Amino acid sequence: MLVISGMMNGAIYGLVALGFVLVYKASAVLNFAQGYMLLFGAYLFWFFRVTVGLPLVLAMIAAVAAGFAGGALIERLTLRRLIGQPLISMVTVTIFLSLVLEGLVSMIWGTYPLQHVAAFPESTIRLGKMVLTTQSLIAFGLALLAAGALIVFFRFTRIGLAMRGVAEGHQIMQSMGISVRRILNVSWGLAGVAATVGGILLGSTLGFQLGMSHIGLLAIPAAFIGGLESPEGAILGGLLIGLIESIVSGYVGNAAGVPAAFVVLILTMLVRPYGFFGLERIERV
Amino acid sequence: MSRIPFYPPSGVYSDSYRKDMRIVKTGKQRLMAIAGLVFLAALPFIPGLNAPYHLRLLIGIGIAVIVALGLNILTGYCGQLNVGQSAFMMVGAFTSGMLNAYWGWPFWASVIPGGLAAAGVGVIFGIPSVRLKGLYLALTTLGAQIILTWIALYGVTVTSAGFTVEPVRLGGIVFNTPQKFYYVALAFTLGMALAAKNLMRSRLGRAFIAIRDNDRAAEGMGIDIFKYKLLAFAICTFYAGIGGALLVHYMMWAQLESFTLQDSVWYVAMIIVGGLGSIEGTIFGVIFITVLKELVLVVGPMAQETLSFLPIGAASGMMLVFIGSVAILFGVLEPRGMAHRWSLIKSFYRLWPFGY
Repeated sequence: MLVISGMMNGAIYGLVALGFVLVYKASAVLNFAQGYMLLFGAYLFWFFRVTVGLPLVLAMIAAVAAGFAGGALIERLTLRRLIGQPLISMVTVTIFLSLVLEGLVSMIWGTYPLQHVAAFPESTIRLGKMVLTTQSLIAFGLALLAAGALIVFFRFTRIGLAMRGVAEGHQIMQSMGISVRRILNVSWGLAGVAATVGGILLGSTLGFQLGMSHIGLLAIPAAFIGGLESPEGAILGGLLIGLIESIVSGYVGNAAGVPAAFVVLILTMLVRPYGFFGLERIERV
Repeated sequence: MSRIPFYPPSGVYSDSYRKDMRIVKTGKQRLMAIAGLVFLAALPFIPGLNAPYHLRLLIGIGIAVIVALGLNILTGYCGQLNVGQSAFMMVGAFTSGMLNAYWGWPFWASVIPGGLAAAGVGVIFGIPSVRLKGLYLALTTLGAQIILTWIALYGVTVTSAGFTVEPVRLGGIVFNTPQKFYYVALAFTLGMALAAKNLMRSRLGRAFIAIRDNDRAAEGMGIDIFKYKLLAFAICTFYAGIGGALLVHYMMWAQLESFTLQDSVWYVAMIIVGGLGSIEGTIFGVIFITVLKELVLVVGPMAQETLSFLPIGAASGMMLVFIGSVAILFGVLEPRGMAHRWSLIKSFYRLWPFGY
């Protein structure tokens, strides 16, 4: 039972971790605002579903589209001006971005948890002794699907390849005739989409509340343990972190799951410094 | 990181390496430094500036400067990202606080053990830096934050609840008001800043910079990178521990809530805004961020009252949006930190009116 629930949570962590991987792979920036983009995306869905009153599927589509636009807008307003500057300044901007997003959410919707909205039917499936909810199954499937799509995207499509190039160096890519601006724009838009999808899933299981952004805390180790460059690693890392978390907090208690996940992570890092599937960089002097 | 060269006024020659490395190079600089020190020392007596509120803000800035200096030594000079600084601060704070509250050690005896305890823990979490770099290393320090907080919350009964700590005493003086503690904070901040400045222009500092710029090349030049990286971690976390010890003796109360992940991220933001690899920049960055945070605390509730038609928390949300936007704007306009702008201003002043 612990194993199963851990796997299900892990799938969501993996899905969020995919957002980190996406931005990292396309721009070599760790997006600290990913947790808050997720929050914002979830609230957007809530807005379309409850305030506007769209049907479920339409609300989802609208939220995802708004997520894409939001991500692209963020890039247009802030990060575009930092092309060619040290990467660390982009990373800082994402830290401050998380403040703005958190502020926006509490400004528009307040700090209290919102009314619950189920994104998916809340039925349960019995498998022998185990009880599964449809929601977690959908999350699981969606996570796998998204990872698969991203693998194909980064390996075979023109824009995906260009994104990997942009991560390597802005100047080189610009001189190869690829618009760094456009690539960064699209990749932030996609990060917005990933965050929104994760937000909808998470919101319908945990409820729509400000605490949702903390899921980013567990998604970060998931992204790292699998290797920051690797979508398949993010999913596997998410599953692993979910497993460790649920088993340790099941047997030890005291919310020991999260620290335990980090202990495992640090030990893994000692053996495999780039995660399981990360790109090993060979440096020359 | 490009540096603006120092153009000394005519008549000031650096005819030896020692002279070139001096902090205070001209008579005018010495005058300014002395004037600044006198101003800082006299501040609690200047009417208008000596309200307890201002002094508390300044003490907070002083403590944050110590912690951020440590972080800048590790991140800015040695190039190892650390996002768990406040956890190391916590180790120092609790060590010093418990020595004081349970064994009756005075502040002066417990502040160094506090720093050393933090440094010890810091070195343990610095070990992965042998193989890890950049963001992957940042993750182990994130882990340090989570694991140490968890230990403090569930592992030790004393620390999870919080406990009272005696104020600082020296002879017959008890430093229990902002006005008195201001001098303790000032002395520690100046001492630690001077120590950092001096350390960073010594052999040690040059080794750190070499590791930051290219660790393999540094190794090729005979620098034992493992030893120096651990040293950088030790110094960084020692500063954090001292800052933590000061904080609990100032608040006279030790609690877990003073040391969160959010605070760690703030310290990183401070040094980046101020300027990586710059002691002056650290101080600028700390002041900038602290004042912004203070604005949120002061203006937020005020705005909440006037805009009561908005949902609860909207005003503080608005302030968050405001400070986030200011900081983003700042990052976009000045990606190299305030220290860079400072040296531009200085060289403009020195070269004026022939600044070309």
